Amino acid sequence: MSITSDILRGHTEAIILSHLLDQDSYGYQINKDIMKKTNNTYELKEATLYSAFRRLEQAGYIRTYWGDETVGARRRYYAITEDGRRMYHGYKKEWQEAKEMIDKLLK
Amino acid sequence: MKEKIRQHFNLLFTEAPKTRKALDLKQEMIQNAMDKYDDMVAEGYSEEDAYRNVIDSIGDVSELFTELEEKNLFTLSEKDRKKKAMLTAVAVGLYIFAGAVFYFFSSGMWYSHGYHMGNLGLVIALLICIAPTIMLVYAANMYPDYSKKEGSNMVERYKEDRYSSNKETAVRRSINTIIWSLAVVLYFIISFATFQWEVTWVIFPMALCVQSIIRLIFSLKGDGKHM
Repeated sequence: MSITSDILRGHTEAIILSHLLDQDSYGYQINKDIMKKTNNTYELKEATLYSAFRRLEQAGYIRTYWGDETVGARRRYYAITEDGRRMYHGYKKEWQEAKEMIDKLLK
Repeated sequence: MKEKIRQHFNLLFTEAPKTRKALDLKQEMIQNAMDKYDDMVAEGYSEEDAYRNVIDSIGDVSELFTELEEKNLFTLSEKDRKKKAMLTAVAVGLYIFAGAVFYFFSSGMWYSHGYHMGNLGLVIALLICIAPTIMLVYAANMYPDYSKKEGSNMVERYKEDRYSSNKETAVRRSINTIIWSLAVVLYFIISFATFQWEVTWVIFPMALCVQSIIRLIFSLKGDGKHM
């Protein structure tokens, strides 16, 4: 399990981007989605999640805005940019290649 | 229990840099922690367990803070600080040089060549003074860069505007300094060359005129940007 979480952590940025492809989201929502998809086995630490957000924002792959909730506290949303989409697709292709290569080598 | 979560974040963020970004981040993390807490309690966890879980899932925040540090609005970047120090040092050096030139000309050594030499020394010294004055004015008007971000909110856009107008002000002040220094130097050179002191003062109204023209050009250019 430690290898799994190490590898997953290395892909934090790409995982976040992939969760923003279809709709804007916020930190907790993204983490909840990740937990659901991994059957509650993997959850990002908040510090990891938010430093990934800051890095992505700095690189121009995502942008952020405060939601306009009328009830309760306001949430900070993230949206993927065109650069972000391009980055994501490039990354996914590379990952696919790496995966095939590792599969072959570990046979 | 929720108050305890808030307090935990307050404690964590005491080490964070005092920037607006850090405040935003704290707000964001607290909100998400509250959401998580509410969800867990709704799922049937005890308040104590939910609290533990929320706190445990925060992780190491020190990494986050180092990234926030560079965004402090009130400090110049390392590069700009060095540039500013360099400008000031060179300017002071040039002033001293100007003083030395003046002293050199006004000392007896040049007396045999005619008594205007002291005045020539003054003119040269004033000419030399132009450069360091411009440098000092520019250095005094250097402001920290405000990095542009997509989707920035109103506060950020306001600060960006402030920053760009700061830069414009710096340029404009430098130009004014150039105009007036040149006017003074020209006034002395022409006056000493022609001895027409009763006419040469016209240079100052002319300098004022040039300054007004440049201000007009600036404001026209500024309007063009908004169109």
